[in-house]
Amino acid sequence: MDRDGQLSILVVDDNPLNVKMLETPLAKEGYRIITANDGPDAREKAVLEHPDMILLDIKMPGENGFDVIKFLKNNASTASIPVLFLTGVSEINSKLEGFDLGAVDYITKPFHPLEVIARVGLHLKLSIATNSLIASQAEKLKQITEAQTSLLTTPDQHPKANFGVEYIALQEAGGDFYEVLPVSDEIYVYFIADFSGHDISTSYLTTSVKALLKQNCSPIYQPQESIKMINDVLVEILPTGKYLTASYVMLNKKKNQITIINAGHPPVCYIPVGGEPELIQLRGDVIGIFKDVLFGSRTIKVSKGDRFFLYTDGIIESSQKKIVWTEGADKILKACRVVKNIPIRHAPKKILEHICPDLTCLEDDIVILGFEV
Amino acid sequence: MDLKELGENLGLELDEFVEIVKLFVSTADSDIEKIKNAIWKKDAESASEAAHSLKGSAGNLGFMEMSDIALNAEKNASDNNLTGFEDVTKILTEKLNEVKSLLQKL
Repeated sequence: MDRDGQLSILVVDDNPLNVKMLETPLAKEGYRIITANDGPDAREKAVLEHPDMILLDIKMPGENGFDVIKFLKNNASTASIPVLFLTGVSEINSKLEGFDLGAVDYITKPFHPLEVIARVGLHLKLSIATNSLIASQAEKLKQITEAQTSLLTTPDQHPKANFGVEYIALQEAGGDFYEVLPVSDEIYVYFIADFSGHDISTSYLTTSVKALLKQNCSPIYQPQESIKMINDVLVEILPTGKYLTASYVMLNKKKNQITIINAGHPPVCYIPVGGEPELIQLRGDVIGIFKDVLFGSRTIKVSKGDRFFLYTDGIIESSQKKIVWTEGADKILKACRVVKNIPIRHAPKKILEHICPDLTCLEDDIVILGFEV
Repeated sequence: MDLKELGENLGLELDEFVEIVKLFVSTADSDIEKIKNAIWKKDAESASEAAHSLKGSAGNLGFMEMSDIALNAEKNASDNNLTGFEDVTKILTEKLNEVKSLLQKL
């Protein structure tokens, strides 16, 4: 995995067309693709780049795929990288020899890009599972004894994520949290959460959730799977009765689509470019209580200029006035309509000013996070 | 033959598929040229290798007719039989020209 969390795949084939046929769909899924057109080039790049997976053609002039895989499996720095080899339908001996040499699977030519994506995803998951991801994450997080400084991500850190945020913590141990995370060059995750209660070290929890997001938001997992894995770890480490509600949105600019996951959180507000705001109503369980959970999920095709706003319930609920978010959500729709022409970076602040002009009406922490496609 | 449909079958947008087809045209041209040279040199092994490459790349993109012709040529060349290969290269060139004209129409 790269420093930024992006998974990389080394594609090795002497035929430039095959390389392109593999590179195009996999890059679209968010993987970083490294290419090599012969054996020596493949060995050098495998050692230098240490990819998360290698797709290796067997039939190459000079040093063939078998020579390459022998080298990889005998080299400590590359031995654990899963190798999928590319072979012709009828080449049964090649398949057997490939498995003998340590390949995890094969893809027959001619291949279908969607099958390649599925196999690559499956074997990356298996590879990560082999490394006991969940267990090691839970163990590491349990060992955190000092709450680290939880830095909130700012729009300047990820300008291409094109977002704005308004964050107000009324108490020292604020229960609200947000994160904006690049999964790859054109894929971003926007996450907003609200911890139940304000009683324990929330900075410890927010740091844990921040780390979990970084570990589990990757092109190989569907958004549902990412949240499920985060839930599984939090079930292990959260104190009894502690939970969080959350909205998780993954934007894939290459596919022009977003996927929204709801975990017991107020609905995301969607404003199609030139259209009227609407609330994306989804039902889902909260995170951190149960192992068996169901989260609400919806995938929407989006266009450039479409906007989404995520927020915590503090902006629309009032225990004093006995307003719950299901009633108060109407305020969000109105406010989103008002800020339609305000640049996205400033829109969340304007929404807050519209709903609660002098901030005196706030009873809880507030986060409003907006982004524009 | 419809490039948009072939691309969609592979889960690719038209512009992505066109880029790949352009690359295919240049590699297929080179493969057909290699087969012609192999016929001239009576080099069945080289003819088989070039036909193998063309079979795979045409099959990957969904140009099945061309892929099937190349498959047959690969089998014959593997058996050291280059009989009728002039006609094979002629048909392959015609099929490739059809692809080229589809690209030009875009």
